[in-house]
Amino acid sequence: MNGGTDNWQRVHPASPFVRGWLALAALFFFFGRDAAERLLRGGPVFDERFAGRAPWLLLGGGTMLLLVVAGFVLSWYFTRYQVAGGFVRVTTGVLVKQHRQARLDRVQAIDVVQPLLARIFGLAELRFEVADAGQSAVHLAYLRVAEARRLRAAILDAAVREAAVGEAALRGAAGQAAAVPVAQGSGAQVDAQLAAVPAAPPGPAAPADPPERPVLTVPPRRLAGSLLLSEQAVVLLLGAATSVLLSAFTENRSFSFYLVPAGLGILAGFWTSFSKGYNFTAAASQAGIRLQYGLLDTLAQTLPPGRIQALRISQPPLWRPLGWYRIQVNVAGYGTPGQDGQRSARTTLLPVGTLQDVTVLLDLVLPDGAARPGSDQSFAAEAEGPDAHAVLAAGLSGLAPAARIQARRDPAHTIGDTDGGFTTTPRRARLLAPLRWRRNGFAVTGNALLIRTGRWWRHLTVVPHGRTQSIALHQGPVARRFGVVDLVLHTTSGPVAPRVIQAGLAEGRALLLAQAARLSPKPQPAGNTAEDLQEGPQHG
Amino acid sequence: MPTEAIDPPGISWLRVSPRYLTARLLGWGAETVLVTAALALPLALVLAGAWRWPPLWFAVALPSAYLLLALWRLVLIPRQVRAVGYAERVDDLLIRRGILFQRTLVVPYGRMQYVDIAAGPLERALGLCTLKLHTASAGTSAVIPGLPAAEGARLREQLTARGEARLAGL
Repeated sequence: MNGGTDNWQRVHPASPFVRGWLALAALFFFFGRDAAERLLRGGPVFDERFAGRAPWLLLGGGTMLLLVVAGFVLSWYFTRYQVAGGFVRVTTGVLVKQHRQARLDRVQAIDVVQPLLARIFGLAELRFEVADAGQSAVHLAYLRVAEARRLRAAILDAAVREAAVGEAALRGAAGQAAAVPVAQGSGAQVDAQLAAVPAAPPGPAAPADPPERPVLTVPPRRLAGSLLLSEQAVVLLLGAATSVLLSAFTENRSFSFYLVPAGLGILAGFWTSFSKGYNFTAAASQAGIRLQYGLLDTLAQTLPPGRIQALRISQPPLWRPLGWYRIQVNVAGYGTPGQDGQRSARTTLLPVGTLQDVTVLLDLVLPDGAARPGSDQSFAAEAEGPDAHAVLAAGLSGLAPAARIQARRDPAHTIGDTDGGFTTTPRRARLLAPLRWRRNGFAVTGNALLIRTGRWWRHLTVVPHGRTQSIALHQGPVARRFGVVDLVLHTTSGPVAPRVIQAGLAEGRALLLAQAARLSPKPQPAGNTAEDLQEGPQHG
Repeated sequence: MPTEAIDPPGISWLRVSPRYLTARLLGWGAETVLVTAALALPLALVLAGAWRWPPLWFAVALPSAYLLLALWRLVLIPRQVRAVGYAERVDDLLIRRGILFQRTLVVPYGRMQYVDIAAGPLERALGLCTLKLHTASAGTSAVIPGLPAAEGARLREQLTARGEARLAGL
């Protein structure tokens, strides 16, 4: 590639101190605590016994401080990055060198993270995610905010251009040879064309942030309301009521003590959720969808088009009267959210929103929605049969009729029940899921499979065909007794685990075969399959 | 209970090697002997008079119950081995397994990231290998056990070639 050694840059000089402030604080704490305590007690700064050795202690402390600072400075000096020739490269390490490079067109998401301290200094961390669930592929900490934004724009711009080149090359390859294994050839073509594309120079001529169109915001009042109406709040209330009642009846005050730590834990959880979700804003731009949120630590995520592997809209029972929904997504590279709030925040596309917000976001993030501005191939246009908003409504709140006339006429019960485009669990399996059988269902649109389930906790899962990795039918002995199967779709790891629950055997089989056919795009020069091909070839 | 296969009709499944049954039976034998011996330890100690606590009936029942379970599994093993199958279609690979808990998996060639072939000492002695497909999803557990070594190598080459022809990446 045409990278060379030019344009290597360093992160902001203050960044080691922002990153290592904890170590510095620990050092000061360690040496300063004793002295401070003695001062508070009115004694001398140094213990009499140590007074003679005080210079040595000071020297030792100073040396350690110097060593730590020198370590920071060295690590800063040896950390350099470069965006050129279709790659972002980072070298780190003083003794053990690490050189890492990631292809720009493989970018899954770019986040600009600002912890509170970095925000005070006007710095930001840039995280570059590729499809390797776990750590971020590249993270540059810290840059000036403006520099981070400019770099993000440059990377996204380069990624978009290279994706276009890859698509063009693959289209050419797909057109000329359907049966011949062309992967090597097309890879070489892409490389050749990449070399032809001028490297994005991260200089003053680099592209600015593409214009953004704000799509929705979550008002703080709604966020607070959503937290008050969450399951944790109910648990807290129930716990409080129980302990008060128990205390009153048994005249034993100790019950309330158990409540304090639990309540504190839940309140801390509330605070985390609130500060993470505060001021949530979604905006659409040509580079993808951009989410910004955070009260103290702020985070700006950019998801390029078509990077959402699976999506789930859910509604807890308490949100139903208010018509609120939550959207969670699987993005390759984000991984499964752990207990820490940051990751679960990153996989949340919408913490709480109305049906209208949900519709807007679906149109943006699903394939061919935001990907091609001006195209009418939105989610709405893609749905087969009845219009998409009806399908969406059926998926979010639909319920198959309890008694089905056709089912009685058809003794074999081979055809599953349907509701608003959704094929639901056959009536014969109603004992298996007495509440949910009318909800469990699936529907197929032009570019995604929709799965709905849950009577109280309503869920609607959307999996784009081009993003499904593999499919499996599962059936246990009980399910066999009722003639139903589960269909599991495998996507990259994340909070969403798509599974069609208790579909009829015949429908499950048919769906398996149909989905398998949709997963393998036929090499055609144009049409829907371009969406799958634009991914570009695998990196070697 | 009628056992109806859940996989779609009209697919000609390739079965794994009959020697895989031998491997499974040997594995079963080793496991059963070891676990039964461990579970029979209290019985021996009670009979020898060293232990008083577990009553004799319990000391007898523990290994017996395990043996019964193991025997039932032994009866199932040939059926389980016969149930494992795979089919190469034009665009995807199908893998099925299980009688009581059935599973049929479809992996499009274009979604494959890499192919693993592994062979433990027992498998190597019998000339077998285990093939594992990986996609970008951790949920894909596409394993074909008990392939003859030559068939495993052929399948790996075939899958790799077909995968390269249909790359779809992420």
